[in-house]
Amino acid sequence: MDWECCWDRDVIALGDCPNIQEGDEDLLLSRRRRILEKCCDCANFKRDLERFRESNHPLAPVFSLVHDDHQRQKNQIQSLVSFLDNKTLEVRFLNELGSVLQSSVDLEEVLSVALTAITAGKGFGMNRAFLLLSDWDHAVLKGHLAIGPRNYEEACQAWDEIASNDMDLQTLAQSFRQYKLSSERDKFHDILEQLTVPLSDEDHILIKALDGKHPVLIEDAFHHPDAGMGLAHLLGVDTFLLMPLHSRNRRIGIIIADNCITHRRITEEDMHSLETFAFPVAFAIERASLYDRLQVELSRVIEAGNKLQEQQELIVRMEKMALVGRITSSIAHSIRNPLMVIGGFARSMLKTTAPSDPKREFIESIVSEASQLEGVLDEILNYSDSLYPTRDFWDVNQMLESVLKDLQDTLPQKGCECSFTPDTGLAHAYMDIKQVSYCVRTLIISGFDCRNREQIRIQVFGQGDTILVSIMNTGCTVTQTEIDALPTPFAITHELNTGIGLALCRTMLEKQGIPLAITVPPEGGITYMITLPTRKEEQS
Amino acid sequence: MSRLLVVDDEANIRLLYTEELTDEGYEVVTAASISEATEKLQKGTFDLAVLDIKLKNESGIELLQQLVKERHDMPVILCSAFSCYKDDFSAWLADGYVVKSGDLTELKEEVRRVLAKKAQKAPVGV
Repeated sequence: MDWECCWDRDVIALGDCPNIQEGDEDLLLSRRRRILEKCCDCANFKRDLERFRESNHPLAPVFSLVHDDHQRQKNQIQSLVSFLDNKTLEVRFLNELGSVLQSSVDLEEVLSVALTAITAGKGFGMNRAFLLLSDWDHAVLKGHLAIGPRNYEEACQAWDEIASNDMDLQTLAQSFRQYKLSSERDKFHDILEQLTVPLSDEDHILIKALDGKHPVLIEDAFHHPDAGMGLAHLLGVDTFLLMPLHSRNRRIGIIIADNCITHRRITEEDMHSLETFAFPVAFAIERASLYDRLQVELSRVIEAGNKLQEQQELIVRMEKMALVGRITSSIAHSIRNPLMVIGGFARSMLKTTAPSDPKREFIESIVSEASQLEGVLDEILNYSDSLYPTRDFWDVNQMLESVLKDLQDTLPQKGCECSFTPDTGLAHAYMDIKQVSYCVRTLIISGFDCRNREQIRIQVFGQGDTILVSIMNTGCTVTQTEIDALPTPFAITHELNTGIGLALCRTMLEKQGIPLAITVPPEGGITYMITLPTRKEEQS
Repeated sequence: MSRLLVVDDEANIRLLYTEELTDEGYEVVTAASISEATEKLQKGTFDLAVLDIKLKNESGIELLQQLVKERHDMPVILCSAFSCYKDDFSAWLADGYVVKSGDLTELKEEVRRVLAKKAQKAPVGV
């Protein structure tokens, strides 16, 4: 019998078998492999088998039986291989997804990975996905993010783009997060905004699915009012999948996925795969959310720690200052009483001492020196007070008028002429009024011993967030060297008072962050300039 | 002649006050502590009291509070080495406040002012 197929030949040439192409040349020399791999499916072989059956050979039915069963088993194996291939891909994908999700604590990254995985061709290959998250502060399930095309053209463009860039899941998710996250959110803003459901609404299909803890496939929703018709109208599809996200017993959120463009059927297998995927996603979302909250709490704790440290340092500083203050005050008190007795009795003696008495001059010296020492004591006590400025908002014009009122008798006695014009449009200054008043008073009287007749001009004006108080004394003549030495305690000048008055002024003002500038104008005299803040933040 | 009670723990200061205020025409009685002052207050009447604030281990403010409660018609002038008590609200009960100084002019003026004010308040015939 002449057979059409080449199965009866040990060696054949290229072209003898229609099923052997270039690249399969090794089959030309192996009859066994050729029969198993090619002949069973070959039309020539099937005709040879038919002819053999017609020959009524007793083995012919057996051959046919064996051949049919071989074909059946081969198909079954191919189906299993295909199934295993799919499962391998799925496991690989889940492994990749798991490793990406496990390694991230950034919520945006986790969400990008989750939604990319659902819609990527290498992933679950759904067309669109919407993520809704539980908002516990407002007790609602709320649309948070969406991914996918809104129409066919956009879908083609996106899929072409993905196909041309063969990216793995992580790269795909990174690219999505970097370039598309905000645009996708904007694109689906109208839908996401309407996807808000109270968590207590147990009759709502989304809450039912969330509480059910298993994926729910909604089909033909346009015709079933109770099965998410409203949701179907909002999404524009009648078939979609609801995948709840749970971490332990916490309701994290829900993912809605559909195939709005391809209309590919969502299979049971899709649902099982997505269910496997849901747990790591929910866990990763919860972990990232907790990490976010932890970061916020951590920054609060750090801030509180810093504040506490500052407070502790402040307390230590204040305790030191309080100690200095107490010592200064105690010393001053201990000195003042004997000084008062010395000065007081000297004055008493002076009253009964005749002008011609040679001892009168000595007693006058005691009175004068005791009086000067009392002045120094006052300054020391004022310094002790200066350690604790009490600041508030005060009217500068009123403060200056009050100082000048106190000096209204003294100024003419010392031969001083003083002029001051208030500026009524000024804001209030933030200062310790008692200390600044003391400083202004000290600056005004600092030139009382000048040889020339003094003319003191006080000006006040606003400049930005500050108020400038200028005290110009035209009667004094001082050099720049003397000016530089002025704020030093007990500095001696020819014209100005000595002691710690000016040094104390500078210290008091500095403690309040108020600069004191001392200048010598070209026309002579001396000018003090105090810059008062009008806002709290101006303080140093 | 107005009768003044001076309370100060420093003997020299009591002596100085006595000298100066007697010269001004007042009758001056002194006390070194609160208990001594209380005793003298029980024995006689005074037109005005001059109190030191720091009295060894006692406080002149306590005596001030006691006087305001029991002798509200008798004005009190606080005389202290510290100017800071002037801003302390507990010192506001006093009718006057003077910082101690060898120059007693301010104290004398304050005594005159307070006594004049008391005289204005007093009902006619008293």
